Amino acid sequence: MSIQASSISWEIDGKKIINNVSLEINHGEVVSIIGPNGAGKSSFLNVLSGDIKPTAGDITFDNVDLKEITIQERSFMRSVMSQSQQIVYDFSVKEIIEMGWLDRGIASYSEDFKYAVMNAAEECSILDILDQKFNTLSGGEQRRVHFARTLIQLWRPSDSKDPRYMFLDEPTANLDIKHEQNLMKLVKEKANEGIGVLLILHDLNLAARYSDKLFIFKEGNLIKSGPPEEVLDKDMLTDVYGLEMNVENDPLRVNYY
Amino acid sequence: MQTKPVIRNLIRFTNSNQIFLLGALLITFLFTFLLSISLGSFNFSILELVNPSKDSLHTTVLYEIRIPRVLLAAFVGASLGLSGASLQGLFRNPLADPGLIGVSAGAALGASIIIVLGSSLFPAFIFGAFILPIAAISGAALVISLLYIFTRGFGYQGITYMLLVGIAVNAFASVGIGILTYISTDSELRGLTFWTMGSFGGASWYLILPAIAVISLSMLWMIPSSRKLDLLQLGEPEAYRLGVDVKKLKYKVIISSAITVGISVSLSGMIGFVGLVVPHLVRLLGGVNHSYLLPGSALLGAGLMMSADLLSRILVQPAELPVGLITSAIGAPFFLWLIFRIRKI
Repeated sequence: MSIQASSISWEIDGKKIINNVSLEINHGEVVSIIGPNGAGKSSFLNVLSGDIKPTAGDITFDNVDLKEITIQERSFMRSVMSQSQQIVYDFSVKEIIEMGWLDRGIASYSEDFKYAVMNAAEECSILDILDQKFNTLSGGEQRRVHFARTLIQLWRPSDSKDPRYMFLDEPTANLDIKHEQNLMKLVKEKANEGIGVLLILHDLNLAARYSDKLFIFKEGNLIKSGPPEEVLDKDMLTDVYGLEMNVENDPLRVNYY
Repeated sequence: MQTKPVIRNLIRFTNSNQIFLLGALLITFLFTFLLSISLGSFNFSILELVNPSKDSLHTTVLYEIRIPRVLLAAFVGASLGLSGASLQGLFRNPLADPGLIGVSAGAALGASIIIVLGSSLFPAFIFGAFILPIAAISGAALVISLLYIFTRGFGYQGITYMLLVGIAVNAFASVGIGILTYISTDSELRGLTFWTMGSFGGASWYLILPAIAVISLSMLWMIPSSRKLDLLQLGEPEAYRLGVDVKKLKYKVIISSAITVGISVSLSGMIGFVGLVVPHLVRLLGGVNHSYLLPGSALLGAGLMMSADLLSRILVQPAELPVGLITSAIGAPFFLWLIFRIRKI
């Protein structure tokens, strides 16, 4: 049970944004994409979520071609959190979280509805701001609310065997270090429950600490992939980022300033 | 299977306070309806509705003039309120209304062509009273088709583009109306001028029954999409990832607004600000979720429009004020206040 992306290329206006990239996300695994700005990380995440069609290559979710999966079915098996847009009207925090609750979820588990929202709010430490207006929150708080919504979208009773995946584009942006660590621990917990997680991260040490596999992108190409301790290499990183770096082993640490 | 979750959603995402407010709006609506029927240049007691008087003039005025007129005002108000609320949701812009994307202007241009050129284009009474509504709806439909072509099928990322097309269409329509004004005779000019100020006078069963049927159907089609409009507030990509077919939703909102607004404009002329103001009032009263906002805007739009029409009938008796003047006189200051309020945020 996994997501398989094979030989994905995507170009727009004759410019190659993603060039022949293959990647696999297994259930219960945290996979992180790292790389400099403009490496094609977010575009790749958009391709995997089905927002944009790749110009070449195939994507399968548990051996089913992504093209064959309706957008409703997709929303039931994977949630996406990316850089979010401003919300114009004054929705409350609770209303925003409840937007993650899909029709199908309501039909199947309506009894657990309130409990699940409260639980997600507690996990993201936003229980005390549930009744506030979303627009009055700080950037970091808004981010946590969106993360709680992402969790609700994938919420299932604990005995569920549904395949589930979570794509998070820089989930720790705007978060303070405590909430950053909380979020990453929560992501790890969700992976242990069987969710396959794809992350885009800029903090190399955060990626090294919490990921099972790293994929390093540069200019649309996949440079290297594998477990952090195998992949993080001084010369390769210095070349990819154009910045002098040092890698220490045991514990694994990347130093760049 | 299809309708049950829809109804459940409408109830689930409307809190008890909002259900109470919707009830209160419904009662206000019924009260205004009865008041509008009983007051005017002829006064009726409410009892005459259930127990018709023997006086045949009385009965004719009540059933053939007053009731159709009040019903038309209610349905036009409801359709403007509802399409304003859904367009503001679709465009994620609190300043959107049916006028903004050029639909009203298209309908107005179609109607103006008939008012000014109708007598020379068509022999008298060939389509009778239906020519004007048909021309207005064709105008609205033409604008929608233009929008469709220019935005490549209401394309995935085309909201700003659509607003710009709307501005161009508005400008084009006012050129057309300007030319028609310029070539019109004195009596045509008078008809045109009063039509652009809006009125519910002259409503007859024969014209309003088809309108009522179409507007009701379009509302029943629109209101179940309220949950999708909520999700759209997260942004188009987010809504898509939550399983909303954004393109289909755009079709639905735009086509249903075009139909209802085209019909409303054709039967009652240009009535400004209702589509803009009503959804804001409803949001201020009880919240922003569309499962409450859409029915609330329809009810309040109907109530306000009947009140405006009532004012237009009783303020300067025995003459009548154009109802569009009343709605604009109230709506314009509100619009300024709104802009002022948004700038502060």
